[in-house]
Amino acid sequence: MLMFILRRILQTIPVIIGVTFVVFFIMQLVPGDPAVLLAGEGASKETIEAIREQLGLNQPLYIQYFEYLTNVFKGDLGVSLKNSQPVLDEILVRLPITIELAFFSIIITIVLGMAAGIISAVKPYSLTDVSVMLVALLGISLPSFWFGLMLMYFFSVKLQILPVAGWDSLLHVILPAITLGAGGAAIVARMTRSSMLEVIRQDYIRTARAKGLRERIIIYKHALRNALIPVITVVGLQFGALLGGTVLVESIFAINGLGRMIVDAIRMRDLPMVQGGVLFASLIFVVVNLFVDVFYRFFNKRIELN
Amino acid sequence: MKERNKPILEVKGLKTHFTTKRGVSKAVDGIDFTLHKGETLGIVGESGCGKSMTSLSILRLIPSPPGKIAGGSVLFKGRDLVTMPEDEMRKIRGNEISMIFQEPMTSLNPVIPVGEQIAEALRLHQKMGKKAAWDKSVEMLKMVGIPSPEKRAKQEPFQLSGGMRQRVMIAMALACTPEVLIADEPTTALDVTIQAQILELIKELQTKIGMGVIMITHDLGVVAETCDKVAVMYAGNIVEHASTEQIFADPKHPYTQGLLNSLPKIHEDQEELITIDGSVPSPYNMPAGCRFASRCPYAEDICAAHQPDLVSYSEDIKVRCWKYTDKWTGKRDKEGVV
Repeated sequence: MLMFILRRILQTIPVIIGVTFVVFFIMQLVPGDPAVLLAGEGASKETIEAIREQLGLNQPLYIQYFEYLTNVFKGDLGVSLKNSQPVLDEILVRLPITIELAFFSIIITIVLGMAAGIISAVKPYSLTDVSVMLVALLGISLPSFWFGLMLMYFFSVKLQILPVAGWDSLLHVILPAITLGAGGAAIVARMTRSSMLEVIRQDYIRTARAKGLRERIIIYKHALRNALIPVITVVGLQFGALLGGTVLVESIFAINGLGRMIVDAIRMRDLPMVQGGVLFASLIFVVVNLFVDVFYRFFNKRIELN
Repeated sequence: MKERNKPILEVKGLKTHFTTKRGVSKAVDGIDFTLHKGETLGIVGESGCGKSMTSLSILRLIPSPPGKIAGGSVLFKGRDLVTMPEDEMRKIRGNEISMIFQEPMTSLNPVIPVGEQIAEALRLHQKMGKKAAWDKSVEMLKMVGIPSPEKRAKQEPFQLSGGMRQRVMIAMALACTPEVLIADEPTTALDVTIQAQILELIKELQTKIGMGVIMITHDLGVVAETCDKVAVMYAGNIVEHASTEQIFADPKHPYTQGLLNSLPKIHEDQEELITIDGSVPSPYNMPAGCRFASRCPYAEDICAAHQPDLVSYSEDIKVRCWKYTDKWTGKRDKEGVV
């Protein structure tokens, strides 16, 4: 198991380098010249040229990339073109907020999704099953920006029991986390249900019944552990979608997280900031996938890493 | 070995039906048999004749819906399993009546160590503590001939070979020393040498514990090797019921005769295997008369018109065939057809 984790960690290194590569070159494809933008309107050609020189934008791309790469490994993500602050400092302020939001959202996704899926699978085609799956279908279909606004309208404006926006207390977490986690919960619910129904038909479940076990033990011990294997994969993938979702949700609820930072930076053509933000979002994804694989292996020891 | 006192298991008129979109499939359609302590009953027949459904019905493990026990009774030590409340039924499953399934590769839970899968039943039925149950399950693995059982108990099924998995299944089934063991094709998925070992093992443990065994198989070799008496099933019915010697020496029912006839003979130089012409009637559309009539070389008018009962031919032989009743004209025999 330890060897497995170690090897899996080593495997992330080329992935991370790949991410820096993609992040760097995608930014090159974005139209607009940062030097022009930085110099401001009506700046002379000389000024723009000087800024280019200063930022190293004149050099060939591969040299720019290698410089960028070495700097990244030194922990230097450049300075913001907007306010000349180091990008890393800004990210480190924003990152915990986004991680907190993502954490609560994924908890909602997992707990709500699995519970709903199990309830449905235990009595398939019953009224409970049909209603739960209908709600799940709605959950998948509703766009999160609309869902977020509706939640805000009911709970904050009408009922006034939860704060509208901002990020001060745990109460502020509730609505954004529900908004962000609901779609995933719906997908996890449907996946859990179909996976459970698949597992319940297996021979080993019949063996468990033949042993005289109670239905509860059959479901939670014998069926669920097997049914969870594909669900873990879905949760891992959902986490990626969730990170993308933070961009929207942070904007709706005016949360100063990483997602909103990236959006603002894109709007400002603040290249180093965007690069840094995307790099960190990717890093989170890589780390989460690492955890997913380790969990996966824990639940299914047949998996070997070659 | 045989005790001619009260049977421990008595199946009377058991019917198991499946309701599907195509109609009602009568998988098991009124079967009767008894099992005594220490006795081995073989249930033979080809695929789909209702052997497995019979065994699953006894333990009420029929997938429901669509399956349902539509009639009859299963008396276990005088109590009817068919009408018993579910939680009492649970106390019997895996404790007093155990079952070994056909597919050792898929019948064990892939993510639970095998020792735990055995210990589970012990903790449940024998109220053993965690440690005691584990020790006993290691002991069971040793008893079924698994080398280094302490190590194997901690492994998961994918780390064991097919033969070993079937041994684990047996260990699991026998852990609570059941009074009846239902072995549903216990050796079908295994190669021949392992087959012999597994059968030997079941026999040995049977003598040790004194349990009754129902051996479900389509392999007549297994029957000859292990069973005291045999029930031959065809299309949801028992067509012949007799001692093993009797069945092999002098089969009465034309289907049993055909079955034995189709066995390849080791001393004869056969070009082709002998088969029974025709095919089994659809379970959704059973004929009104004898279910074997369309394939039977002796069939007369009455065979297609009315279904025969399972009648006693002699004290030990029961057969479901018009040929052994006074309604039989023997016309075709006289004409020299057969």
